[in-house]
Amino acid sequence: MSLETALLIGVLFGCATWLVLHHSFVKILFGFVLLSNAANLFLLSMSGSPDGREAPIAGQTAGPLVDPLPQALILTAIVIGFGVTAYLVILLYRLFLDQKTTNAAELFAEQDTSERT
Amino acid sequence: MNLVILPVLLPLVTAVTLLFWGRPSPARRVLAATSAAAQLTVALALLARTLEAGWLVLPVGAWSARLGIVLVADPLAAVMVGLSSFTALAAVLYGFAEFRTALEHPLRLTLVQFLVAGINLAFLTGDLFNLFVAFEVMLIASYALLTLEADDWDVKQAFPYLAVNLTGSTLFLCAAGFAYRLFGTLNFADLAARAAAQPEDPRVIALALWLLVVFGLKAGLFPLYYWLPNSYPILPAPLAALFSGMLTKVGVYVLLRTFGTVLPHGLTGVHTLLAWLAGATMILGVLGALSRNFIRGILSYHILSQIGFMVLAIGLFTELAFAASIFYIIHHIIVKSSLFLIGGTAALLSRTDNLDRMGNLWRHAPGLGVLFLLQALSLAGLPPLSGFWGKYAILVVGLEQGEYVLVALAIVASILTLVSMLKIWNAAFWADAPEPAATQQDPRGRWMNRVTTGMVLVSLAVGLGAEGVFRVAQQAAARARDQAGYLRAVHAVVTKDAPDRP
Repeated sequence: MSLETALLIGVLFGCATWLVLHHSFVKILFGFVLLSNAANLFLLSMSGSPDGREAPIAGQTAGPLVDPLPQALILTAIVIGFGVTAYLVILLYRLFLDQKTTNAAELFAEQDTSERT
Repeated sequence: MNLVILPVLLPLVTAVTLLFWGRPSPARRVLAATSAAAQLTVALALLARTLEAGWLVLPVGAWSARLGIVLVADPLAAVMVGLSSFTALAAVLYGFAEFRTALEHPLRLTLVQFLVAGINLAFLTGDLFNLFVAFEVMLIASYALLTLEADDWDVKQAFPYLAVNLTGSTLFLCAAGFAYRLFGTLNFADLAARAAAQPEDPRVIALALWLLVVFGLKAGLFPLYYWLPNSYPILPAPLAALFSGMLTKVGVYVLLRTFGTVLPHGLTGVHTLLAWLAGATMILGVLGALSRNFIRGILSYHILSQIGFMVLAIGLFTELAFAASIFYIIHHIIVKSSLFLIGGTAALLSRTDNLDRMGNLWRHAPGLGVLFLLQALSLAGLPPLSGFWGKYAILVVGLEQGEYVLVALAIVASILTLVSMLKIWNAAFWADAPEPAATQQDPRGRWMNRVTTGMVLVSLAVGLGAEGVFRVAQQAAARARDQAGYLRAVHAVVTKDAPDRP
């Protein structure tokens, strides 16, 4: 179980990195969605192997439980990640409306940052 | 009522009130300013109490540190809360002059209060995961402020800022999970106790390096700083002052906290790495500043260079070095924020921020020139201004430890800082403007100057009363490095749950 989880986390981080390194902001956005999922899964795996242990649900306390703290942390992280992703989508939409492109190479092409008006 | 919760609670309540108040009005502004002043008073009271008592601990919901979240105020945290309240007050007051009430963006004051709540929570938290939450509160407010009043051209600069901080947050989340797996706790005090028990464990060093990357990214440390100098200039002057003063310094504070309070003190290799990264940041930051040709761009690069000084002191890792770093933070936040405000006023009077098109401000606004000169010389480190004492203390520690190369780098960076400040002085204040009619009188400038004069006076007081401020910094450094005392204070609080895990 641990090995499969580790492999999945690795694949997710790899795909996320590959997507984030693209020019297109839409792909970067998807990269960040994957990245936050990879991080959440990583956090989940920190509660140890679930073999032979129950899910921490209130009222069902038969047998040993999985450490509930990482799950509480993930819940917080998911909420925060959702908010930030929503913001990112809106920013992307505004960039598209203003500049008619979401390609980083085109957006930052002719810009000289040492001069401003 | 426990004093420790107030620096978080007050801005939150104010933010929600302002949010539901809706339309900008003079009374709404009075509320925002009163709340900011009240926060400053609370912070000063907190500082006085912590200097007496050492640590003030609040177990939130009366759960013990092991199960719940604790807020811990020590002199270092109290000093930082005081600085954030002071900068926020100045930014809010300065912002009133920028627009008539009707033109003010209704969300700006609200978001500033949310930002301050996040910053203060980051200073007061005694728990690694809660620190992550505080960072997110702060960052989400900063994303919104960054794009709130940006124009079509500038708004794209927010994207790199967002992307870098999102990556940083994800890494931080993973680091928190890693720390939990390693030590079975996220509480600073327990982390410190358990990490001290296994100082030779390579995983502790891995955690230290991981946190160094995460917080180095927040602080703007080489080679992770490139997001900063292009994103800060798109902010309006008062917000740029608040961002430049506080946001990167949260990163520096967290470096002080993690390396001083949480991680074992024996990680010499990591500390040396920190010192050399800081040396590179100092030089590259100031070179970037020399290459820029508009005031806010130059000042943004200077943030990096100054971050280098503070982190260099952390890397030298003696108690005196920590005190020097804390003193430097106090000096830097006030000077940097006021320079951004002065730059904003200069840009308003000249109708431009570009040094090629500015000029003659000395004749039109001599008062502004005096303010700029005082703060610029303080930033460069001329005695008896506050910057001199900060740099002096850091250089003394560096010489004591025999780090001659780093000391030389710091001196070169200081001289180049002076050069780039003189560049602003010559172009904006001294030389003739290419179009003489461009510079105009503006009634708003007078109110702005009053706010910046207040900040400059505080900054002068820090320089002239350096001995007293340094004593506070020394006490803050001693408490921040006292891991055993921190553990005792956190575990001494009375909580409602049983002492042992069932």
